[in-house]
Amino acid sequence: MTITSVSFLVFLAATVLVFYICPVRFRWIVLLVASLCFYILAGAVQFLPFIVFTSLVVWLCAFRIGKLYEEQDEKLRAPGLERSQKKAIREEYKKKAKRFLLLALVLCVGILCVTKFTKYVVNYLNLLTQALNGSAPFSAEWVIVPLGISYYTFSTVGYLLDVYWKRYSYEKSFPRFFLYAIYFPHIIQGPISRYNLLGQELKKELRFDSQRVAFGLELMLWGFFKKMVIADRLNIYVSNIYDGNDYTGSLFLIAAIFDAFQIYTDFSGYMDIVSGASQIFGVTLEKNFNHPFFSETVPEFWRRWHMTLGGWFKDYVYYPCSISGFMKSLNKKAKSALSDRGARFVAVVIPVFVTWVLTGLWHGTGTPYVCWGLYYGTLITISTAFAPEFQKINKLLKINTDCFSWHLFRKLRTFACFVGGRLLTSPGSVRRGLLIVKTIIFGFAPWYITEGDIYNHGLNLANFWLALICLLVLWAVSMMQERFSIGEKLAGQNIVFRWIIIYLAIFAILIFGVYGIGYDATAFLYEQF
Amino acid sequence: MEKVLEILNSLKSGVDFASAEGIVTNKIIDSIDIATMIARIEDEFDIEITMEYMENKNFDSAQAIWEMVQDLQEA
Repeated sequence: MTITSVSFLVFLAATVLVFYICPVRFRWIVLLVASLCFYILAGAVQFLPFIVFTSLVVWLCAFRIGKLYEEQDEKLRAPGLERSQKKAIREEYKKKAKRFLLLALVLCVGILCVTKFTKYVVNYLNLLTQALNGSAPFSAEWVIVPLGISYYTFSTVGYLLDVYWKRYSYEKSFPRFFLYAIYFPHIIQGPISRYNLLGQELKKELRFDSQRVAFGLELMLWGFFKKMVIADRLNIYVSNIYDGNDYTGSLFLIAAIFDAFQIYTDFSGYMDIVSGASQIFGVTLEKNFNHPFFSETVPEFWRRWHMTLGGWFKDYVYYPCSISGFMKSLNKKAKSALSDRGARFVAVVIPVFVTWVLTGLWHGTGTPYVCWGLYYGTLITISTAFAPEFQKINKLLKINTDCFSWHLFRKLRTFACFVGGRLLTSPGSVRRGLLIVKTIIFGFAPWYITEGDIYNHGLNLANFWLALICLLVLWAVSMMQERFSIGEKLAGQNIVFRWIIIYLAIFAILIFGVYGIGYDATAFLYEQF
Repeated sequence: MEKVLEILNSLKSGVDFASAEGIVTNKIIDSIDIATMIARIEDEFDIEITMEYMENKNFDSAQAIWEMVQDLQEA
């Protein structure tokens, strides 16, 4: 069962029915049972021990850490303690808590690393032994990747670190914690939820609210439209061109642009479907996309794209790296050896590159993803470290930075940077990506578009233009969403108008959606993580 | 407090940090600015900012930063 299947809609309807029939205090149990059923129905029954193990290890270790801090606070309350004594107590308990933190991190991150990196390592070892003695003795066939492992590991590890850093208290009930880990709308593709947000949402009194249910259903419809009408249509052209060989630059350029819109509508469409489904139960999921193609800089883009992953890396990788003992001593050395600006550059560049290479490795193993991380690390370092120079150049060239054309240029430049990053991973290898870039620059041949060859690669004339019209609809809706809540605006309209819009959306999905026998309309791009 | 304002002003010009609220929430300063600021605050006040304090609420205004500094000085 996948999110875009009819069986998911039946499953959702049945869950909603049972959920609202049950008394309020038992509704979270309905969600827990439904989430377990969803995981099993998604074909992942064999992976259940993994998610149970990770959740249990994290919950137990966080529980112990929380108890240790309670003991510490009890001791600190004793009268007459001096500052040095208090410090010693804190250090003693921190040391004890750290043992549990490390134990959980080794076990849970260890499983994640083994499942994600073994195939890559084995492949390289075999290449090495083949070069030395002509044999390839290692096998990675035993490696399995549990469904949603990156998402539930990151969510639960984030909770563990938050408890260790005393950001909030630990969860006393394992079933409650397990619901947070396996909650069906976020288990397969995120968002990577924070316990202090989703955990609290799941603890609320989840009562029926007709308007919220309507908003949820409308959001789901918009998600299905993005996924089935836009993403899956663009996918036909993109995969056709990327899987082929001898194409001209103009066809590759269109494929690269379509690829960017495809991944956006695929991933954000999924988010709209699951956020809408979650809203029906009264549970708000964290926002994962905020119209990233309206960003004017690359750092801004990454604050609007896959926001929960960016936030996770910022809080649990970038900050710990920035304020680590190693970075502090390096900064001190840099300050004595370099200018103030040079020292600041050192302070920025290392944590940024560490964070981005790890973000790349989260997306996939292999050279393309390392290059992808280095690419974004470089872009973000340049945009941050050389901001004063860019301002000077703008002044020197007397560029008006407060007009429509300048903002449009910045948005297009950011989009081009994103397309560049996709070209490192999407075509399958860095080499192929670079070949595509070379062909775009030196073999553009625009007549392939004007002479109609563009319609021979999966999308005929009607489908190609339909894709463009749908992208215009996407742009118009995104512009509206930037200004107001469409759900609330619709709620304020007469019921006839509201239903006309809803019917139009349903018919658009049914008529223009890409599905049918032999076409896997439901393989979401981010499911593989 | 003046020193905190001085550090903030060196990060970004054209912002009235004395009265500005929500400087992290409203993205006036970003994570790179925060990392840069931490090194300076630690030097200036001879404190160590640990991960327990790395929350948006502790950096969201000059007053919040100053309160965090005082808290760390007392710890």
